Amino acid sequence: MKLITAIVKPFKLEDIKVALEARGLHGMTVSEASGYGRQRGHTEVYRGAEYTVDLVPKVRIEVLVDDADADSVVTTIVDAANTGRIGDGKVWVVPVDSVVRVRTGEKGSEAL
Amino acid sequence: MGDFAKRRAEFLAQDQKPSPARRAEFLAMTDDWVIDLARAAGIDEINGALVAVGGYGRGELSPGSDLDLLLLVPPATNPNLIPVVADKLWYPIWDESIRLDHSVRTVAQARTMAADDLKVALGLLDARTVYGDDNLRQTLTAQVLADWRAMGEQRLPELRSYVQDRTARNGELAHLLEPDLKESFGGLRDVGILRGVAATGIAEVDQTGLAQAHQFLLDVRDALHAVTHRPSDRLSLQEQSAVANLLGFESDDELLRAVSSAGRTISYISELTWHRVKHQGVTARKGILRRKVISSQITDETPLAAGVIARDGEVVLTESAEPSADPVLILRAAAAAAQHGLRLHPDTVRTLAEQSAPMPVPWPRDAREALVSLVGAGRLALPVWEALDQFEIFNRLIPEWSVVRAAPQHNPLHTFTVDRHLVETAINSSNMTRRVARPDLLLIGALFHDIGKARERDHTEVGVELMPAIGARLGFNAKDTDVLVKLVQHHLLLPDVATKRDPEDDATVDFVAGIVQDHDFLEMLHALSEADSRATGPAVSSEWRLSLIADLVSRVHAVLRGDEVPPIPELDEKRLEVGASGDIEVVLDSQASLPTITISAPDSTGLLAACAGVLALHRLSVRTATTQTVGDRAVSVWGVTPQYGDMPDTNDVASDLRLSLEGKLDVSARLERRREDLFGVGFTYPPAQVLILDDVSARATVIELRAHDFPGLLRLVAQAISSIDVDIIAARVATLGSEAVDVFYVTEKSGTGAGLTPERAQQVRGSMLSALELNNSPVE
Repeated sequence: MKLITAIVKPFKLEDIKVALEARGLHGMTVSEASGYGRQRGHTEVYRGAEYTVDLVPKVRIEVLVDDADADSVVTTIVDAANTGRIGDGKVWVVPVDSVVRVRTGEKGSEAL
Repeated sequence: MGDFAKRRAEFLAQDQKPSPARRAEFLAMTDDWVIDLARAAGIDEINGALVAVGGYGRGELSPGSDLDLLLLVPPATNPNLIPVVADKLWYPIWDESIRLDHSVRTVAQARTMAADDLKVALGLLDARTVYGDDNLRQTLTAQVLADWRAMGEQRLPELRSYVQDRTARNGELAHLLEPDLKESFGGLRDVGILRGVAATGIAEVDQTGLAQAHQFLLDVRDALHAVTHRPSDRLSLQEQSAVANLLGFESDDELLRAVSSAGRTISYISELTWHRVKHQGVTARKGILRRKVISSQITDETPLAAGVIARDGEVVLTESAEPSADPVLILRAAAAAAQHGLRLHPDTVRTLAEQSAPMPVPWPRDAREALVSLVGAGRLALPVWEALDQFEIFNRLIPEWSVVRAAPQHNPLHTFTVDRHLVETAINSSNMTRRVARPDLLLIGALFHDIGKARERDHTEVGVELMPAIGARLGFNAKDTDVLVKLVQHHLLLPDVATKRDPEDDATVDFVAGIVQDHDFLEMLHALSEADSRATGPAVSSEWRLSLIADLVSRVHAVLRGDEVPPIPELDEKRLEVGASGDIEVVLDSQASLPTITISAPDSTGLLAACAGVLALHRLSVRTATTQTVGDRAVSVWGVTPQYGDMPDTNDVASDLRLSLEGKLDVSARLERRREDLFGVGFTYPPAQVLILDDVSARATVIELRAHDFPGLLRLVAQAISSIDVDIIAARVATLGSEAVDVFYVTEKSGTGAGLTPERAQQVRGSMLSALELNNSPVE
């Protein structure tokens, strides 16, 4: 099993949800995140007041999938999250040893 | 499982509707078992008593409750015997897996414990002999009660802060979608605390509906414990259906409404009781306990508004007040109470509820303004709102309110019932009134943004249908009502777009700009979104999420065109004829819905301040004002309402103005004294804001003041402007509820009629702010 983590632009969450649901994946964990990569912070001028945005708001999406599905799910997320502009985010995959569904006690792929 | 545990489990498995009778049966069953244990343990041999304390002492045993037991022993008991008896008592209870809270003490030890620990003291007040020497228990009760009474003044502030901490942690029972039946404010714990307060004899506890609300919450807790097989008192969403079913409610919504109503009764009585305690002068400061008169700034019988006075720290009606002939009185009293951080006396609320004449439709201006003032008072409005709500007064004033009152919402993002969410949103927006040009529309928009909820259809659509009638009924004109409707319609626009569309895409920004149209509306919508998010719950009000909205708003501001130029006000010919002779002349027109006073006087520096001061001195509240300079005269038209009583005589106004301009009447000092009478009861309002509107008028520099209104505000500010040696050639004043939005058109004195340089404008701004800052300093 794999854990796929994606850090993307907040407004892309809906698109990613729809794309993953379309391929039968209904569960995900979403959290608020902020950070920066190459995008760095940017300076905004609003009504004369200049302020620096150090950390850019992002969402963090986590999905557990079977090994065989990992690559295609990553592709789905990347396609949905892409705007072609800087700050689109990153997706990474890490191996997972075991998973248990709390309610039923099911383990491994059964629990996904 | 032991024998008792089996019988207990069988009893609880009967799946019967909880009731006081069933609770009594469960208590008797438990008592019988404990009595057998006590007898077998040999309590008689040591002449001790087994005493139930806390909830068990009161007989409020729920399936998941602990057994709170105290083994009371005489002081001369053989110390070797005590552990033998105690072991024989406690072990069988542990063996049956019944949760036990136990202690062994003499009367003196128990008394010492009670002196050290508030919860122990409260628990002992409810002590009940289960078995053994009742005289021993009676001695304990008498001594603990005597201590409690003697130390009441010290214990009550302690108890109060315990209640406040609990409320901060567990919220209010009446307004939460997942309340804690015991620990939320208005829950079971508060009933015990009220008994404790009553026992001190310091304050009376109103009993109306208390016992009924208490028994109902106990029923709900019994049902919750029965359904979950756990001792938790939190009525979570996932358990509500089963609990509703066991209690015979048709739906979980009905259950929650009933729980809310019981919680409201208890929290209202608690609020009132604590207010009385505070008013009795029992308060704590920096750990030193002292008696003091709380409302030191509010002397007895201080008039607050027409027909409304403060007496003994509570708001009551004057003897001449006539609710049956004065429909606005109810809101005027409420606004006055909230703005001064006071409670309405319960008898006053009852009188107003029973006798008030129906509000005319559309509402008169002062009714609308009083509502704005009420919610504009922020957190201080809550106890007043609750007091009125206790008598369902808002249902009568605003029929649409009855649908949202205590209405549950099935949304895990929400913390509060619909009505409390609306009130919370309005309270949150009271902190943001300086961010908008129309604080009244923001507050009212916030109060009604979800008025379409708790119906079958999309709540925004329903709200948009309801709002035109509500706006018109409240007496807003068509243009303002349109703004209110637009606020309701688009209250989710900013959060939706900010989280779902690309803010860097021009199309997104243009889309929002196309809807909001101007800066003023965008600022109002932004404030509403933030207030709404914070009132919804932590899931949607993170700084992260609010920053997305703020980012979108700043992008939309950047593409909106400049605001419309507010033209320099001009008065009509008829007004300008007043005082054509050149002398001071004052004319009253009391025919209009808002009486106006026209003042003409030779133009001079500080004239506006002098006029404003004299009007304040005559206890007139300035709602609108427009001034214009004509040659060497200045004419000003003032829309005013008397704070109490009738309009003053115009000759008196003219003569005071003359004296003031001649320096023979010190208006400042007299107003200052009055302000000390009226203010200083813990009311904090957002600091004033002064905006310099660039390039708005070629002829003058336009300065906008947004501030909390108080008698003499206008005089203070006009004086601060004049002190920089500039001319105020015109002004437009609007007082919206308790918020003032005043626009001044200022020029250099040189007679060139030119506006100020940016540096000079900043100088004026600085002078205004420092005048207000001085004024905000706390009254000692």
